[in-house]
Amino acid sequence: MDDYPPGCLDHSVPFLLTLGTCTDTPYDAKLSHALKEQAILIRSELPALDSDQARALMRYMQDRDASNSPCNARNETTRKYRFHIKSAERSLLLPPRRARLPDGFEPPSPTSATVLHSPYSPLSPVSPLYPDGLINTDWIRKHQDLIPSILLCFYTLVSDPTLSTLCDNQIKTDVNNIRALLSQSGYKTKLAVVLLSDGTNPASMEGVQERLDVIRRGCNLDAKALFLVPPNESQEELERVAENMLTTLYAVSLEYYRDLGRHARKKRSRGIAPQPTVPPTSGTSQTLSLAGWNVRYDFKTATFAEYRLEMDVALRSYELAYEALLSTEVMELIPSWSPRWNEARLLADIIAIRCIRCLLWNGQHSAASRRWQFHRERIADFVDRRGRGTNNYGWAAWEARWAAVMADLIDKADIPELAPSSGRLYLPPEKSVMGERLQPWELLHHQGYWHRMAARHTQTRRALARTIPESDRQPPSASPASLVAKSAFTYDTYMCPDPYEEYPIDGIGGGVEHGKLIVDRLIRARSEFLKRGQKRLAAEVSLECARELGMAERWEDVIKLLRPLWQDMPFRTEGWIPIIEEMDWLLRRAAYEEDEAELLLMIDWELHSQSFSKRPNWEYNLAKSLEDIETAEKPDIYIRHGQLISPVAASFLFRDEEGKAGQSVHCQLTIRSNAHQGSALLQLSSVQVNFSGGIGTVVLQHEDVDDTRQKHGNIVLSSLTLTTRESGEDDVKSTSAGSDGEKSAVLKGTADLRLPPGQVLVFNLEIPLREPGDAHAESVVVTIDNDEFKLNQSISFAENSSRNLWYISASAVKHIAHQRPLSLHVLPRPPKMEVRSLGWKEQYYTDEPISLEFEIENGEDVEALSKLDVTLFGEKPSSFTVDLPSGESQTSSSIRSEESRLSGAQLGAIASAKSLTIRLHLPPIESSSRHDLTLKVTYFLPTNPGTPISQTAVFQLNIVNPFEASYDLLPRVHPDPWPSVFDPDTVAPLPGPNSPDTPSFIPKGLSQAWCLVTRYASFASEPLRVTEVSVQISPSPLFRCTAVATKHSLPEDGSGRLIQPKTIEQAAFELTAQRATLDERGPAPLDMALTIRWTRAEGGNLEKVNTTTLPIPRFNIFGTEPRVLATVSYRRRGNTKDEGSGGHLVIVLTVTIENASSHFLTFGVSMEPSDEFAFSGPKMTTVNVLPVQRRSVEYRLLPLDQKDEDDNGEKGEHQGWWIRPGLMVRDKYFQKVLRVLPGGEGLRRGEEGLEVWVPGARV
Amino acid sequence: MATTVPSIACLGVIGRNNNPLHTTIFPSYDPATNTYRPVRTPLQFSLILSSTLDVFELRARQNAAAGTGLTGDLGLLHAVDDRLAAYGFETNTGTRFVVVVDMRGRRLDGSAAVAAAAEKRSGTAATGLREGEMRPVFKAMQAAYIKLMQNPFFEIDEHSVPGGMGGKRITSKRFAEEMRRIGERWGPGVTSL
Repeated sequence: MDDYPPGCLDHSVPFLLTLGTCTDTPYDAKLSHALKEQAILIRSELPALDSDQARALMRYMQDRDASNSPCNARNETTRKYRFHIKSAERSLLLPPRRARLPDGFEPPSPTSATVLHSPYSPLSPVSPLYPDGLINTDWIRKHQDLIPSILLCFYTLVSDPTLSTLCDNQIKTDVNNIRALLSQSGYKTKLAVVLLSDGTNPASMEGVQERLDVIRRGCNLDAKALFLVPPNESQEELERVAENMLTTLYAVSLEYYRDLGRHARKKRSRGIAPQPTVPPTSGTSQTLSLAGWNVRYDFKTATFAEYRLEMDVALRSYELAYEALLSTEVMELIPSWSPRWNEARLLADIIAIRCIRCLLWNGQHSAASRRWQFHRERIADFVDRRGRGTNNYGWAAWEARWAAVMADLIDKADIPELAPSSGRLYLPPEKSVMGERLQPWELLHHQGYWHRMAARHTQTRRALARTIPESDRQPPSASPASLVAKSAFTYDTYMCPDPYEEYPIDGIGGGVEHGKLIVDRLIRARSEFLKRGQKRLAAEVSLECARELGMAERWEDVIKLLRPLWQDMPFRTEGWIPIIEEMDWLLRRAAYEEDEAELLLMIDWELHSQSFSKRPNWEYNLAKSLEDIETAEKPDIYIRHGQLISPVAASFLFRDEEGKAGQSVHCQLTIRSNAHQGSALLQLSSVQVNFSGGIGTVVLQHEDVDDTRQKHGNIVLSSLTLTTRESGEDDVKSTSAGSDGEKSAVLKGTADLRLPPGQVLVFNLEIPLREPGDAHAESVVVTIDNDEFKLNQSISFAENSSRNLWYISASAVKHIAHQRPLSLHVLPRPPKMEVRSLGWKEQYYTDEPISLEFEIENGEDVEALSKLDVTLFGEKPSSFTVDLPSGESQTSSSIRSEESRLSGAQLGAIASAKSLTIRLHLPPIESSSRHDLTLKVTYFLPTNPGTPISQTAVFQLNIVNPFEASYDLLPRVHPDPWPSVFDPDTVAPLPGPNSPDTPSFIPKGLSQAWCLVTRYASFASEPLRVTEVSVQISPSPLFRCTAVATKHSLPEDGSGRLIQPKTIEQAAFELTAQRATLDERGPAPLDMALTIRWTRAEGGNLEKVNTTTLPIPRFNIFGTEPRVLATVSYRRRGNTKDEGSGGHLVIVLTVTIENASSHFLTFGVSMEPSDEFAFSGPKMTTVNVLPVQRRSVEYRLLPLDQKDEDDNGEKGEHQGWWIRPGLMVRDKYFQKVLRVLPGGEGLRRGEEGLEVWVPGARV
Repeated sequence: MATTVPSIACLGVIGRNNNPLHTTIFPSYDPATNTYRPVRTPLQFSLILSSTLDVFELRARQNAAAGTGLTGDLGLLHAVDDRLAAYGFETNTGTRFVVVVDMRGRRLDGSAAVAAAAEKRSGTAATGLREGEMRPVFKAMQAAYIKLMQNPFFEIDEHSVPGGMGGKRITSKRFAEEMRRIGERWGPGVTSL
């Protein structure tokens, strides 16, 4: 807005001029010379006031000056007045109301008096508008600065009674004098008087009212125009008086401007164009048309309405003026070569600006924005049609100005909704246009956008200026007149210089500094954006700005502007590659020009990255970056991760999730070059991997080695060996900028670290682990260190579990399924003590004393002081004994019912790689069970005596029963006669050993014989050697019983027999039992146990014979029921001496009936005849058996063998066959058939009764 | 002056980490040469898209304070100048869609011009935009984006690294094609794409 003539765009505020006070800045009308000659001098004769009171009052009033207050209607309701206040000391000059006739002008006819007009009117020849101008700034300034609406005169009201009348009279005279001068001038300025009382005592104010009345009457002032400031008032009182006064005067002032507005409207409504004082003689001698006059009148009306703050009225009038101005009757008629053309454009601009200001005042922001666009389009259209077109620098300059004007207007309007604190970038449309289709730009944006737009148009202006042909850029003095004339028609020079000044040909003659204009606008835009937190947009503007500065080769400023942005711009982390690239190249140039080596290096480093597009014909070579740069010292740069886009990427991978202290872990470090293809190789000098946790730093240093590395494509795989060094020993520390100094150990290795573009270096590392805990690979620092610079780039590893690729070879990868590939869990050092059992067997057997041997071997590098804990865990574990190598034995104690434990048995020191043996003894265990045997060796190493290390071995002890057996008890006929109740002597004691615990009685009861048949089998997993099988009979008071083994398969010499597992062996025992007394009748229980004595087969050690006792289920013997027993004996008839061959076989079948009861029993015995045999004996007989007696019946059977051979062909001839005698024994009394039991060999019970074995002929 | 109507100059998809995921640039009508060509360079469009992030952040702050803005449609973000304006939409997961509209991007000719003229007579200027006129565009873009994410081979985390910075750009041809289709078919008054 500064481009416009001063004053023309000022806000119109009522003008109040004070007279009669001293002031530091006396008012100066700055009238032009021509006008000054005719100016009307208004002068106060009285001395100017210089009292404190007067100054305070003046200061207060000037503080309330509203000429620069924001143009908005916000405070209208609270604000009672608005004044543009100036003060003149003693006198002021008013411009002449009527212009003089030009010198030497003779009135054409004395009869018609020449009408004189205002010097500001196009009617007066003195006016620059004469004869056909519209209106200019002078007129605006006339009301703004020259002619006050109110002239406020200050006087002292003397309190001294002796002087008061004199002074009052002086005041009256002075006021009347001024009034006369004013009315003489023709202006309707209102006069007002302030009287400052100089009294020190309020009491002296008596009669003041009267004096005031006198003065008022004498000066012909009305009551509203005379003010009194009482003496010695406080500041508050003074302010109150001033407020009152100004409010009152404001109403008067509005009235003044209303009159002026009314006057203008009246002139317009006359509808005729006034004639100039002197008819024009020069130029086209054309006078202002009626339409032109209407523009002038409307403009005046609008301006006066603006003074009164009637913005709606003003807007309407301005619009009228604008439309009229751009109508076919005014501007269309003005030729574009005429100076009036530019004046009209200026007027159009001014009207448009004032319109926009009115709209902003009313809060119609969208309308304001729309008005702005409308004016631009209107003028563009106009210039295209009538002027010199819009495709030249002049138009662009105007566009830039037009955008800047809007920014200034918004600034002036100070819209609170658009303030930075509101967080708004643009205003919502007002209600009246809410539903319409709006251009986004019609929502009023804040100043930054407008400034930026102005900058952009200025760029266009420069671009257009650059296209001006050289011929037009010659100064007019140096170019032919024809060219000058031509260029005058080609270029739009409205408010901008001629081509030869816009862009002079020699370049040294100044010219317009477009760059400066642009930068200026951009900086202003940037500050607006920054105020509102639009940091990215601000960065964009900075970039544009830097480009401009670069064009002006102000490299230092470029660096100053861009470096902070470049260092932490959001674009890099967000990945806006083209933006970074742009900035990089721009800043690189600046750094190059300014010898900023570090900056240059960093940018070059970043630009190596393939993320950016490759600049053709550019040599990417970091080593040559600093070739033309002068550096004081060698640059040493450390680049954080993410600070730049690194051309080198790195990843890291632990092969395993867990490792153990004391062992080492395999890991892979991958360094990948993302540099542009064709760029020079990066000569890394060292690579340093930093870990957190218990792993020290790994440093790889470059070494030119023979290339024995695996290569495939762009992948190079090498395995490195690392050696431990203490830090501080060498230069490692200087490179370890990223690691903390606490790390003690540094692992060093060497490798070929040349990194051609696109190559991937894969290093297999084996890192020894020292401390348990979690370790994490943090970052890698890649260092390039050469003669010219040192550059460290830190790269943090990114955890990405989905792509853990492990290079098996250079050509093959595998995926490693780690959740956290960068983390390693280091377990504590594993024990190297080993506990082994010697000769551990799968099964151990019950009733066997178990002896176990264990070997404890020290696998540690040093000797270990060890202790042993042994725990046996299971159901009812027995206590055990441990033989320690010291020769001592310790026995376990039972802690709980299911646990038996020996703790803290000292083993002493075990030398490295030595072992010792312990032996554990378990007593025989009775039942089959399962036990867990835990051996825990706890030891300390002298190298780390504080940390116990323990090794645990668990063995499972399976104890099973080696044998199982089944039993049958078969009745037999006791060979001895039963004792007779009638003969006590027959009752003799049974033969047999008398064991000590046998009750010492001589049994005298019945005796019975039995046969116990046992079948036992080994259930062991291996063959066992059985040496003896016997039956233990538990003694009973009721009877005595002895057993004699009759049949077993064991050798007699006691060496035993090997019994294979799962084979059934049989053993029979003859039992002889005798009741203690005859009186006993009831059944007696018989408890027995089978005892098997056995040894382990392979041991062969007969000393260690184990005894397994198998309890036999209880049998009952000696029932009271009678029993019938059959026995057989065989006899060969005819040839008794040679039974085995020939002769008839006679079978003697004896049926013995035992009556153990005390009853007399009668049995019927019958034998059926049969085809199988012939028999002799009673076919049917009755046997009476006395109580406690037995009787026998004998049959002799002769088998009929011929038939039998046919029947039992298989067995008959060789072994024999069974015959079924139809023998029946019946209790006569109970009519019950008794079962005939086989009472010895050769008999059995078949399905149909008793069967008798007939041995074959050859048996 | 030839009658011009708004058209889409650029469609941008910006990820949660403020990283550019996708950009499609459309040619605009150039009255000087009577041809269609992009109104700005790709770099300038990048800058325009990135500058909308400021507005997104600003709006997020305002919305958080006022508890509004649940729809995700942020409407006009700002007008870059009197020609280009940026409209924005933010999904629940923080992906943003930006439409840069060129207010004079397409020339009306033939029947379209007649229709526009008719509209002009009826009182509404065809050159402006109503509130919510971008909604179909965002809807279509979101649909395309959802389709993209439904692809089991599309790894969202790669494109918006969780908690990290940056991310890859979208390389799906189908998505790019869909964006192109949306951008080309939209015009003022288009209600579905």
